[in-house]
Amino acid sequence: MPDDLTQFAQQAREFLDARAVRPAQHAEFRWGVGDDTVAYFGADPPQVEERKLRAARDWQRTRYENGFGWISGPPEYGGRGLTPVHELVYDSVESQYDVPDTGTLSVIGLGMIGPTILAHGQQAVKDRYLPAMYRGDVIACQLFSEPDAGSDLASLRTRAVAVKGDGEAGAHWILDGQKVWTSVAQHSQLGMALCRTDLDAPKHKGITAFLVDMSAPGVDVRPLRQMTGGSDFNEVFLSGVRVPDSHRLGEVNGGWRVALTTLMNERATVGSEGGGPVAEALSPERLSALMRATWTWDDRALRRDLSELLAGMMATGHLNARAFRRLQAGVAPGPEMSVAKLMYAQNLTRAAHFVSRVLGPRIIADTGEWGTYAWAELLLATPALRILGGTEEIMKNILAERVLGLPKEPGIDTRSPFRELPKGAP
Amino acid sequence: MTEGKDELDELREAVREFLAAKSSETAVRAAMKGAGEVGGGYDPAVWDQMARQLRLPGLAVPGDYGGDGFGLTELEVVLEEMGAVLLCSPFFATVVLAAQALLASGDEAACARYLPGIATGQTTATLAAAEGNASWDPAMVTARAKRTQDAWTLTGKKSFVIDGTTADLVLVMARSTAGPSLFAIDRSAPGLHAEPLTTLDPTRPMAALTFDQVPAVLIGAEGQGGALMSRVLDLACVALAAEQAGGARRCLEMSAGYARTRFQFGRPIGSFQAVKHTCADMLVRTELAEATAREAARLADEAAADFPVAAATAHICCSQAYLFAATENIQVHGGIGFTWEHPAHLYFRRAKSSELLFGGPAVYHERLLDRLGI
Repeated sequence: MPDDLTQFAQQAREFLDARAVRPAQHAEFRWGVGDDTVAYFGADPPQVEERKLRAARDWQRTRYENGFGWISGPPEYGGRGLTPVHELVYDSVESQYDVPDTGTLSVIGLGMIGPTILAHGQQAVKDRYLPAMYRGDVIACQLFSEPDAGSDLASLRTRAVAVKGDGEAGAHWILDGQKVWTSVAQHSQLGMALCRTDLDAPKHKGITAFLVDMSAPGVDVRPLRQMTGGSDFNEVFLSGVRVPDSHRLGEVNGGWRVALTTLMNERATVGSEGGGPVAEALSPERLSALMRATWTWDDRALRRDLSELLAGMMATGHLNARAFRRLQAGVAPGPEMSVAKLMYAQNLTRAAHFVSRVLGPRIIADTGEWGTYAWAELLLATPALRILGGTEEIMKNILAERVLGLPKEPGIDTRSPFRELPKGAP
Repeated sequence: MTEGKDELDELREAVREFLAAKSSETAVRAAMKGAGEVGGGYDPAVWDQMARQLRLPGLAVPGDYGGDGFGLTELEVVLEEMGAVLLCSPFFATVVLAAQALLASGDEAACARYLPGIATGQTTATLAAAEGNASWDPAMVTARAKRTQDAWTLTGKKSFVIDGTTADLVLVMARSTAGPSLFAIDRSAPGLHAEPLTTLDPTRPMAALTFDQVPAVLIGAEGQGGALMSRVLDLACVALAAEQAGGARRCLEMSAGYARTRFQFGRPIGSFQAVKHTCADMLVRTELAEATAREAARLADEAAADFPVAAATAHICCSQAYLFAATENIQVHGGIGFTWEHPAHLYFRRAKSSELLFGGPAVYHERLLDRLGI
């Protein structure tokens, strides 16, 4: 590691030593002892969720006040002015401490929307929101997908109509439409919305991006219940929502470029996921303990499955480690992040099914036995991983087209005006 | 060598250029023809040039023994390139199996005696471990080593011996009263008979060896064969993984290239998602395979405690990736991919043969669990 990174890591450790606890040196795992929760999606009761959110915001503020809130951000907006590699170094140091999970703020808001505002926002908006977001005051969500615009995001139909300024009211826009699959909308103060602003342009060229105040009149957030039973995403209805023109991101009808900035950051974020309670539950020692406890220890077929699973997880770890080292050496990243995202979904899916084969009937009914039915949440969560952040099918198209240079599917109309395109099923 | 990315790239470029000139498909097919005959299977002139011009046999041999003293990281790069073109060469058996067995034995006298010849390309060598049951597990060895006064003799049989009819130096795992031990015998030693085997992969010749009281030299300590083979197999798995990753990458390139240019229904077949996604799957597995092989090599050079786990992981991932890529490469090419004249089957043969060389899935899954201590 270059000197300044070593020094930076040392600073991070000093900051964390003063404010966070180091978890006890990897206590020997013992079957039947401690919390047996294995949850990908949280399923906390509202008051627990509220407490965790407060802790997350407080911790983000502490980071921010000590120069670790936005390490790669520009100083004029409260950033530290260092590099993305410094971010990674900080993350790896912080992962050795027991600190509140800040995913609700960081995955979408700080990880994806912050960089988009920085790249495409107008001055007043950057001044107002960026420091507030990285200080933990403002949580942001992504208003992209719609009921009829999923993988084909550019076919979105939420309208934004410009209204000229008159007298005291400046130029502004009126938004109408419906968004869906919106994670953290229920906690957000800010949303980034993609809207149709020109029906006569081809579909990618008539979209504009806006920042929406989630407390504005006409914004209605309704939770969706997912197949695990919890509610981690929402529908967001926009009915005559007024958005000042100062909150437009990028050019009018230039929203697709803005969205690409956000999505590029999404893939980087999702691919790097690796820690958390799920990772711990899938360690070789935990899985072998599970096999011992269920008397499946010498089952040859299960041992083989275990090896397949561990090999896939360790290979993904090696891929991430190499991507990290390349980044440190200043080499542009290759397709590793997309590959890691696909593998992350595959590994967790494979893990959930491996565990269910080990548990047998214990995962179809809750007998109260420690560490058995607790795996049901992960089993039910894994289908999401092949869909969220771009479906597996779309990810493979992107890899094949961008990395291998394979031609696009013919017959996809990217030239005709949006209003002439066929809508929905015939 | 340091983490110097540029130096590794330069090495890769030099090796790639050399192999493009010396190991074309025509050259591979010519070498292949001799694989079933005694003394055949590779072009000695190319081996000689590889040693003189690029000093490749000595690349990872320590300086004390006449080599250039680089590590597995550099060797890995060379092997990726060799695997990509299916080079027919004594390189793997000599530089990986035999040289690493000598080094792992810790026998300085033996290293001083044999390694300088290997480093300059003068000596080709191999390691004869498996017998009729195809196992590389030294516990399964039945070939006997007998001590008579100051000398040893070997009696028994070995099989699946890579380059077994051509190697000048044959290292043999044989059982003495102390257990499995490593011995060296000379190609011209009396009582040694080598019979070429017909191989699924004609780019990697193999032989069955018979020993009838062949004079041998003990390498390292008597009875240390178990620990030695464990170390050698870890290293050999990574070296093989590098070849496999290179081969998988080549299959991916062939498929993507064909999918871009082959037209059916008036459009390139690569525009169909069924073909496109197959290619994307090949890419995903190849990227993973490369990462595991390179990472394992790096960990070997750092003498990291988790190297054996990384080696076992690389062996599994690269075996699976190469077999997948070689199989799907034929599918993407359709009928032409099934012809003798198309190189796709050569990669399929190498992929299958490499997957199973050290025992295949029946062994490698348990090896990973063993290296993880579970």
